[in-house]
Amino acid sequence: MGRSDPADLVVVGRDVLRRGKRFPGCLEVFVEHSETTSIKAYQGEVESLVTATPRGLGVRYVEGSRCGYAYTGDFSSSGLDLVVSMAVSNAAVSDADESVALPEAPSAYPEIPGLWRPALLDTPMEKKIDLALEAERVALASPHIETVEESSYVDQASRVAILSSRGVEVYGGQTFCYVYLSAHARSGDEVQTGLGFETGREPSELDASAAGREAARKAAALLGARPHPTGRYTVVLDREVAAAVIGIAAQALSADAVQKGRSLFAGRVGQRVAADAFTLVDDGLHRDGMETAPFDDEGVPRGITPLVENGLLRGFLHDTRTAARAGGGVRSTGNARRAGYRSSPGVSPSNLVLTPGQGTLSDLVARVESGVYIVGITGLHSGANPVTGEFSVGAFGHVIEGGAIGTPVREITIASDLVSLLTNVSDSAGDVRWIPFHGSVSTPSLAILDVTVAGS
Amino acid sequence: MGSVSGQSPGLTPALADVVLARVLRHGGDYAEIFAEDRSSLSVRLDDRRLEEVSSGVDRGASIRLVKGPTTSCGYVDALDEGSLIGLADRLSAGVSGGPLLPVSLNALQPLPRRQAGGDPAAMPAPVKADMLRAVDAAARGRSAEVRQVAAGYSESRQRIWVAGSRGVFAHDDRTRMVLSVNVVAQRGDVIQTGRETLSGTTGFGLFEDGSPVLAALEATEKALVMLESRPAPSGRMPVVLANGFGGVLFHEACGHGLEADYIVKKTSIWEGKRGTRVAEPFVTALDDGVTPGLWGSNSIDDEGTNTEATVVIEEGVLTGYLTDLLRGERLGMASTGNGRRQGFRHLPYPRMTNAYFAAGAVTVADLIADTPRAFYAKSLSGGQVDPATGDFVFGVSEGYLIEGGRVGPAVRGATLIGNGAEVLRSIDAIADDLVVKAGMCGKEGQAVPVGTGQPTLRIRELTVGGTAV
Repeated sequence: MGRSDPADLVVVGRDVLRRGKRFPGCLEVFVEHSETTSIKAYQGEVESLVTATPRGLGVRYVEGSRCGYAYTGDFSSSGLDLVVSMAVSNAAVSDADESVALPEAPSAYPEIPGLWRPALLDTPMEKKIDLALEAERVALASPHIETVEESSYVDQASRVAILSSRGVEVYGGQTFCYVYLSAHARSGDEVQTGLGFETGREPSELDASAAGREAARKAAALLGARPHPTGRYTVVLDREVAAAVIGIAAQALSADAVQKGRSLFAGRVGQRVAADAFTLVDDGLHRDGMETAPFDDEGVPRGITPLVENGLLRGFLHDTRTAARAGGGVRSTGNARRAGYRSSPGVSPSNLVLTPGQGTLSDLVARVESGVYIVGITGLHSGANPVTGEFSVGAFGHVIEGGAIGTPVREITIASDLVSLLTNVSDSAGDVRWIPFHGSVSTPSLAILDVTVAGS
Repeated sequence: MGSVSGQSPGLTPALADVVLARVLRHGGDYAEIFAEDRSSLSVRLDDRRLEEVSSGVDRGASIRLVKGPTTSCGYVDALDEGSLIGLADRLSAGVSGGPLLPVSLNALQPLPRRQAGGDPAAMPAPVKADMLRAVDAAARGRSAEVRQVAAGYSESRQRIWVAGSRGVFAHDDRTRMVLSVNVVAQRGDVIQTGRETLSGTTGFGLFEDGSPVLAALEATEKALVMLESRPAPSGRMPVVLANGFGGVLFHEACGHGLEADYIVKKTSIWEGKRGTRVAEPFVTALDDGVTPGLWGSNSIDDEGTNTEATVVIEEGVLTGYLTDLLRGERLGMASTGNGRRQGFRHLPYPRMTNAYFAAGAVTVADLIADTPRAFYAKSLSGGQVDPATGDFVFGVSEGYLIEGGRVGPAVRGATLIGNGAEVLRSIDAIADDLVVKAGMCGKEGQAVPVGTGQPTLRIRELTVGGTAV
């Protein structure tokens, strides 16, 4: 399949729809094709260089409120026949659900310029390699840095087409790239690690030396870290940590979780679920967001959905199925998301945007006066439960004393519950950054009262 | 219809010979083809409905070319000659020099497919659907406080062929099945969850004798017990880790740091520590990729090396690392059969298979009776480690307090945090009830099946991160 012609995907999609015509139900096909490069640098050399053009398609078939799914990477005639027949027979096994339906074709999609940058594919490989090498070089030249375990450059140019027998026919493309590294600082026997990253839509947007400096600074700052005495403290969550907390809380803002009794926010629309200063929006159209697109993964236009406004719960995220189940004129918010062509769509946030507060991180720390500044957490997937709201994770960071960031701390845990974390947000900085690790989240650093810290 | 049985011929030695010669025609130290044909089926029940049945096929190959410090790799979603040669040409264009002649490959002896108790793909999908309906009914029937049940079944058959330029040609045929149950229980404002899984590598017989219903009742029991729980304590205290999933301790606190990629880069706390005492003499640990029936076992690893059992800690002394071909070469070691990858779209890395502490001599009853006061982690939900510092955490999904040598009240919401080197030294008792459980490890963004296990053991002191001060 050629690089430059997204129409190829549509041709494959139409072929699949045609093969599905002999069955009575509705059919949707999601076709994906990308070009990807992944480079790892180590000690001034290229350690690995992976290039590929993966492709695949997934078919959703709905007949009599029963849904079946199938996928393949085999675009041959027999491969396409097989994937259609698998989806059809899978539907026959599932239970009927009146809310199951494929979306209708919308009247229009939003225009979002700049998502596809030909420059990403046109950039010579040497330039991409240089970005990974430069990040490593800059980190290694920084104080206390002994080694960079891995310094990576990764890019992807991906095309998607979605077609259905209900009239949806849409395609689009996106480019995305990042530099990422992990630096190790040493002092005597002690080692500390720090991560740096930069994201963009084309390589020229990546400042590799900034990523290198960030990783080096974070690692060196933790040298000498000790556990902190157990107690309740005001904590300041760095943007990266705040993004993780918001990413977990947002799982409970999915209408699917709410409808199935797996959300601590169920039945609380209009009620206070967070502090006054807390306003959270799902913005699928934000020009800087990494999840920005004209349409979601079932071809519904993406949109902007207020979730929490001044601490009050405003609503939930929907795909076509949860909207139908909710009834009462509720429409999909354009939040259907797939993990790729192998998976059927489910509800997921696009870009989560938290309204920032005032000043720099230093200003926020000065306002807090004393407490613990948390720069990283570990064990999020095992320690945070969006169903029960329990939250207990490993953490590291710095003591806040006299309104300033002080000595580093490690081997501590922070524990609370998600609702308390959100309602105890007392202040925030104006230092927003897009964090790509827990979905796509734009957040400032947050001050939170009364969090249990366990340590020495 | 179940999984797809559209069988491809895979990779033949004759085709592999041609492709390897082609990829090495401008030089290189080593080249390898990894071909894969995988068919999968998953069935999901949620909210009393059989919500989704999904199946699919992944068929493709990757080629890697190693020259000096650099590995170049590419992959294609096809196994035909034209696609493989096109890929080989693209990779070989990136190097310059004279050709390396690969060792000619011989026809291999196909391995017998391990399949006790029936091929899952031969079982009709409605049987699997009914199994999930029985799971749902059992969990809901156990208590009116059960508010929600999600149950999933998945199976995959992965056939791989590995051809290496030093004369390796190997094939494996792997079947894996997982049944999972997630229960939500509610009493007043308190919501709790319970999870149980049933996994196997042999045949559908795993699910006979009512085992899915037992798993459903166990998941329900966990959620119900946790409804009675109080907030977990916080601070440093002795910790008893139950058998089975407690093995996440070895996996996170020690195992990752023994993987040779961290050793080569000197970014592991265990680098240079071979032959030194790291634990009490009654502590022995293994990575065992070869014992049939264990979740992380295979006949060969994903580089074509036969799997084996490696003793990594013998009577308290660090004895071994876990390596693949590439890192082994850099360490002057043979591969230990730990070169593993998620599939053809991924590069292999040194990975654990089934890693566990060996059984000790005392009974669990004696171990607990001998413990005046401790946090008892009965079930863990996963963990994370930084191999460079050894600092690890794991989440506790079912915890209790031990008071006066007896298991007391349930506690909720705790994470355990510690340092790998310190925690190994402070294991002060090991019981005789070794169990290895199934899990998935996500290193390098690649999910591979791993077994984690241990007997019940006690740690002198660890930081427990609850909310109660």
